[in-house]
Amino acid sequence: MAIIITVVVLLVIVTGVQILKIAELKAISQGEKIYEVSEKESKSQAYLMLVFLVFYFGFFAWQVVAYGDRMLPVSASAHGVGIDSLMTVTMAFIIPVFIITHILLFWFAYKYTYSSKRKATFFSHSNKLEMIWTIIPSLALTVLILYGLSNWNSIMTPVAEDEEHVLIELVGQQFSWGARYAGEDGKLGRANVNYIEGTNFIGVDASDANANDDVIVKGEFHLPVNVPVQFVFRSSDVMHSAYMPHFRAQMNCVPGLKTQFNFVPTITTKEMKEITGNEDFEYILLCNKICGAAHYNMQMNIIVESKEDYEKWLADQKTFAAN
Amino acid sequence: MSSITIENINSKADLKRKTAKPLLWIGIVSIIMFFSGWTSAVIVSKGGAPDWLNINLPSAFTYSTFIIVLSSLFFHFGLIAIKKDQKSLLKVLVLLTLFAGIGFVISQFLGWKSLYNEGIVATGSESTNASSYLYLITAFHVLHLLAGIISLIVVSVKSFLGKYSSTNYLGVELSLIYWHFLGALWIYLFFFLKYIA
Amino acid sequence: MSTHHHHQEDFLFKYIFSTDHKMIAKQFLITGFIMGFIGMIMSTLFRLQLGWPGESFWLVDALMGSWAENGVMAPDKYLALVTMHGTIMVFFLLTAGLSGTFSNLLIPLQIGARDMASGFLNMLSYWFFFLSSVLMLISLLVEGGAASAGWTIYPPLSALPQAIPGSGLGMTLWLVAMSVFIVSSLLGSLNYIVTIFNLRTKGMSMTRLPLTIWAFLLTAIIGVLSFPILLAAALLLVFDRSFGTSFYLSDIYIGGQVLEHTGGSPILFEHLFWFLGHPEVYIVLLPALGITSEIISTMSRKPIFGYRAMIGSMMAIAFLSFIVWGHHMFVTGMNPFLGAVFTFTTLLIAIPSAVKVFNYITTLWKGNIIYSPASLFSIGLVSTFISGGVTGLVLGDSALDINVHDTYFVIGHFHIVMGLSAIFGMFAGVYHWFPKLFGRMMNNKLGSLHFWVTIVSAYGVFFPMHFLGLAGVPRRYYTNSEFPLFDNLVDINELISMFAIVAALGQLLFLFNFVYSALRGPRAPQNPWRANSLEWTAPVEHIHGNWYGDIPEVHRWAYDYSKVDENGEYVGGDDFIPQTTPLGDNEKDGGH
Repeated sequence: MAIIITVVVLLVIVTGVQILKIAELKAISQGEKIYEVSEKESKSQAYLMLVFLVFYFGFFAWQVVAYGDRMLPVSASAHGVGIDSLMTVTMAFIIPVFIITHILLFWFAYKYTYSSKRKATFFSHSNKLEMIWTIIPSLALTVLILYGLSNWNSIMTPVAEDEEHVLIELVGQQFSWGARYAGEDGKLGRANVNYIEGTNFIGVDASDANANDDVIVKGEFHLPVNVPVQFVFRSSDVMHSAYMPHFRAQMNCVPGLKTQFNFVPTITTKEMKEITGNEDFEYILLCNKICGAAHYNMQMNIIVESKEDYEKWLADQKTFAAN
Repeated sequence: MSSITIENINSKADLKRKTAKPLLWIGIVSIIMFFSGWTSAVIVSKGGAPDWLNINLPSAFTYSTFIIVLSSLFFHFGLIAIKKDQKSLLKVLVLLTLFAGIGFVISQFLGWKSLYNEGIVATGSESTNASSYLYLITAFHVLHLLAGIISLIVVSVKSFLGKYSSTNYLGVELSLIYWHFLGALWIYLFFFLKYIA
Repeated sequence: MSTHHHHQEDFLFKYIFSTDHKMIAKQFLITGFIMGFIGMIMSTLFRLQLGWPGESFWLVDALMGSWAENGVMAPDKYLALVTMHGTIMVFFLLTAGLSGTFSNLLIPLQIGARDMASGFLNMLSYWFFFLSSVLMLISLLVEGGAASAGWTIYPPLSALPQAIPGSGLGMTLWLVAMSVFIVSSLLGSLNYIVTIFNLRTKGMSMTRLPLTIWAFLLTAIIGVLSFPILLAAALLLVFDRSFGTSFYLSDIYIGGQVLEHTGGSPILFEHLFWFLGHPEVYIVLLPALGITSEIISTMSRKPIFGYRAMIGSMMAIAFLSFIVWGHHMFVTGMNPFLGAVFTFTTLLIAIPSAVKVFNYITTLWKGNIIYSPASLFSIGLVSTFISGGVTGLVLGDSALDINVHDTYFVIGHFHIVMGLSAIFGMFAGVYHWFPKLFGRMMNNKLGSLHFWVTIVSAYGVFFPMHFLGLAGVPRRYYTNSEFPLFDNLVDINELISMFAIVAALGQLLFLFNFVYSALRGPRAPQNPWRANSLEWTAPVEHIHGNWYGDIPEVHRWAYDYSKVDENGEYVGGDDFIPQTTPLGDNEKDGGH
């Protein structure tokens, strides 16, 4: 195999050299300066510029049509609706910019190709034009920044203590997730890697009374629909990132640090199966920060259900003390 | 067509006179950035650690500060001397600077020793970030200072060989700029470690 | 003929330990391209895995040996490939290869200097780079494999060999190689800055400098200010890995035991890393922008539009690059207020970028564009700069970043705006200044073919990645096949991989053209592109000291193309006026 490939490569190189040489000799014999780009050649490259523009826009449009329905479905969380509409506004700004600048770029590239009969226009600066394309982007950006930050601030505000909510701790470790519910007292017991032992895989401190009613689950975890969920994230080894794409939620899990994020799930798993038309649809939590060899397969299912179903499910789980 | 001659290439000495100082200055800027990276790291680490250990700097570090200021003064007068062509005075002052520089290094070692005796160690399970930073930052300052000492040795050898004069003292000047910088850097680090870290 | 005896340098000092900037430029170029080809082959290998996960490939088997049993690479070796691909492309090809080559070649030639401020430091800079390249390649061969924690080497993954085999000896070598690389980069930058400030020829004021030089200057300044921080970050990691400190490590349970490290924070590393990491983007990008500014102006036979605005926008970009690093860390749990500040500063970068784009487009307007391969790649750069730049508004917005952070949307964005733009700038530079590098011309037709294959296949690779990202596909996944969620994206991954193979094969056109032209190409004339800048007044053959006789004096800026007088006739009789031509009697100098 290797010998055949070597021979083929050598043959290709030798042929290439011969072709180039012949082409150059031919050009020289016709009195051309071979290093110069002829007017004809410039012209054909200019046509290719237009062809490329059509190809590029066509490729873009084709992808939108072919891939559009494979993107993430509607946001399954309250704040995610805001993110999606911010995305729509941003796209409504950047796609026209992308299209207009490309049309200008490639149209000029086509139109002003070299001609010995024409002179280029000596036009070195114009304060007015430069002001225009400093100020217009600035105004557009102001809108985007203000809109974006109002979203950001409301997303990052934690759930108020006295508001009804579910408190869940997600712990990442190579290469699985654990979820811990605060239980009836609404408080998570102390936890630290020093307490990791046997089945206590996320290291809960058994001497802390708050820990007794905590519920720890693996494989999948449940959320009640329309109730705010306050998440706390930990990692027990390297960095992970808890990414729940359907909820437009992501937060890193950092060893030695507690991070947090909150959202209100608004669509149950069952409803989402209908929306997507996919019987097997499941919400998913995946790891989105490189964490080792099996990073690509560190997942946990999320089930969103009615509050009653959720409470029933939670009651069926063993508490930490019972374990 | 004519070949290149020595007249139309900038002579090496000329080139050096024009570029040596800016090269040194920009090198100094990158060293400043390096240390500001670490001192910023100290602030970030401290901000994230409620149990940050406040370490009292050993008195040896205070003596070091005086020694390095003194050495800078010696060297500074050395430059003034050679500008007036006082070659033997330069020899004396450069040697004094060199000894003071070595004294600074010794004093730093004494400082580390007394820290170590107090149980403040650089690495391992007994160490804390505060102590690790302290050793690391002071050690890397001494590493940079060793380069300064090498330059001082070169300058003293050259001054004993009579290579410098009132018209030729670029080497003294370069070494002096770097030495002043090391002094200023130490004073910054000293106060940073004393009051902020 | 002069009778001066020409000193015959021996081989060793002419080709190996040369202190001549032109030779050093060639050394940087060739070393950079070798590294670049290795990085590209790596990407082809992991694209094979991503396009057809789990399938056996002869090529994978042949190149990866024990890393790939039966022609299927192991998951951690996939990560090693990704890590090394990123490191090699960002630092070795696009930092040293691009800036090292063209800063070295063009700074003395375009400002009118005999050589760099210090030829010796310049030589050291290259040899540190060479050593660093060798160390980086050796790290591919050691036990446990090369570094595998991503090019951003976030601890604790990069600190703990228990976490991934590549964090053993491979990571140690990575850190050593990068430290050597930083020294090389600093020595280079020192020289570039001092040379530009101190060794300009008579008449070459700062506002007459070609934009290439401005770009190299700002790049070097960014480098001097940011690379030391990476060194500081890397050293702390070295101490954590090997000497028992805990700067970045705390509360870790791995391999069945709790580690002794307490009190550190990985977030500190991210702050230090991205304080370099973000300016690094512009270290890569600015030289490419400088190169294309020069080429677009020359080849459209028009002055660059808004010379001062171009400088101003580069300065603004350079400045802003230091206060935006937090946008890489929106989802690390940083204070939301800080997140807001970083969103603001980040989106501001769009303004100078927009100015640059419109200035490029206006330069083409009513020009007289000659399509050399360099012009094609320059126009390609403007396209990639726009296509990749606009998605920056999505990623720079903290609220939007939450859901696309670390997904393929990011991969698409930075490969187009930084990767493609920089490599297009580099190709443009090589085609344009090949006559200055090797005294010969490259083949234009092959070059044009190379361009079209490259731009079509590159967009084919990176554009669909945005859609993968919007579908929620995370980066650095060995395969997407473990998630039913991604099952309907298989054909997108296959398409990307097919384009990647075409793109890689397309580069063989360039390799062939490059080698053939360097050895056999037609001899270059003095000024093949009829350009104004000073390097074209230097003799084609490389001589020590760059010019015979005196260094030419400069009387005007570098962009007097197609200047006409009141009667509509070209000033000076041709559509270009070299910088060495004094102003005519009634000629306005246009403020330069």
